[in-house]
Amino acid sequence: MNTLTTIDELGFAPALQQDVLEDTTSDHALLEATRSGDQDAFAELVSRYRNQITSYIYRMTNDYDGAVDLAQETFVRVYRAADRYQRSYAFSTYIYRIATNLAISELRKRKRRKLVSLTGFFQPTDGGEAKELNPPDGRPLQDLELVDTERRNAVQRAIGTLPEKYRAPLILRDVDGRSYDEIAKILETSEGTVKSRISRARGFLREKMRAYL
Amino acid sequence: MRNNNCKLIRRELDELMLGESWSAAATEHLRECAECREFHEQQTKLRQIVGSLGTVEAPADFDFRLRARLANDASSAPPIYWAFARRGLAVAAMVIVVVTGFVVVRDVMRQMENNGEVAQKPQVHQPAKPDEPTPVVKEEKKPEQVVAGVTPVTIRKIRPTQADYRKQPLLTKEASSLGATVLNGTQPAGMSAAFPIDSSVQSITVSLEDGRGNAKTISVPTVSFGSQRIVQGGNQFAPKRDW
Repeated sequence: MNTLTTIDELGFAPALQQDVLEDTTSDHALLEATRSGDQDAFAELVSRYRNQITSYIYRMTNDYDGAVDLAQETFVRVYRAADRYQRSYAFSTYIYRIATNLAISELRKRKRRKLVSLTGFFQPTDGGEAKELNPPDGRPLQDLELVDTERRNAVQRAIGTLPEKYRAPLILRDVDGRSYDEIAKILETSEGTVKSRISRARGFLREKMRAYL
Repeated sequence: MRNNNCKLIRRELDELMLGESWSAAATEHLRECAECREFHEQQTKLRQIVGSLGTVEAPADFDFRLRARLANDASSAPPIYWAFARRGLAVAAMVIVVVTGFVVVRDVMRQMENNGEVAQKPQVHQPAKPDEPTPVVKEEKKPEQVVAGVTPVTIRKIRPTQADYRKQPLLTKEASSLGATVLNGTQPAGMSAAFPIDSSVQSITVSLEDGRGNAKTISVPTVSFGSQRIVQGGNQFAPKRDW
């Protein structure tokens, strides 16, 4: 891989302006090209995954700025480790695994620092029942959009209170719509474990979201 | 949950993607079991809400910031030779540790061997090794004086070397507590078991009998000869006195 010294040497080009790279180019081929110093190929990979990875980490950490930083860190790691990348599994699995590890590390760091978030203030440490800090208003809302927004916020907060081992598979399955097989590979565990954790996670969520169901 | 069938059906429904069709058995069960039907409706609604979260978009300057980060990392990356240098330093440090450990273990083993030797041969004074720097041996050439048939012991002054000090046994023979050897006129001087007197023994007690039943006991207390530094060819450091 070439050594970069300035920002301009990277030469990221917008994906739409690329003549050489086509959308049908596989992720593997793009990473191969990145390995041989093709910065456009890496730019294409970034444009394919930046939203997915940012969104996934945001759902995990419930912190947008932190999620953007971690998403960038994910791509930096992909770029640095391009020489060591093996095609034994899909690139999406590979990049999601990096993102998951970063997100889980961040959650653990927060726990060590004993950062208290308002949404997780009443989060039980043993994964038991949590109380909703901002309980839904029982009165009828006038705007359906407001209802949806409120519901989404509530579910995001509820996801944020889940233990990390339940949170990642639930987001990968119910938000990103990934298969059990892929989730198992990302989380480096068995399919059975993934199914069981997702089921438990939904059980927790159902209890917390009872007012909205 | 009424029975195992409910559990199986709920698990089947739970594992399906939203909108995916389920088995006829599940359909049949949902028609009959109100609890499972309610559970399924709640579960579907929950998954719809979670799924509606959708994708959050990365900020517009995501690429720019990433580029800056990569460029910054590349410019601040340590030079390649540093990786080799670090490896070399690590190997050198490991070699030093191993060699030091070997030397320490060897010294400890040697010390243990020496202690074993002393225990087996409790001699007070070890002769100097032939290959070691010449210990200066000085013998007195004074005429022998015979007092009561006892020949004075030739005193040999040997400056012990460092190795001799190391080999110094921990136990010494205390002769003052032993019974004195009785010498009488029938034995010629120097033939008694008391002779030669072990010069390493610092305290000596000798009992002499003059043949008429008169016995005298001579006790020589511990005598320190001090230390002498003898340098070959250096008169200023020559011993002031000969013992």
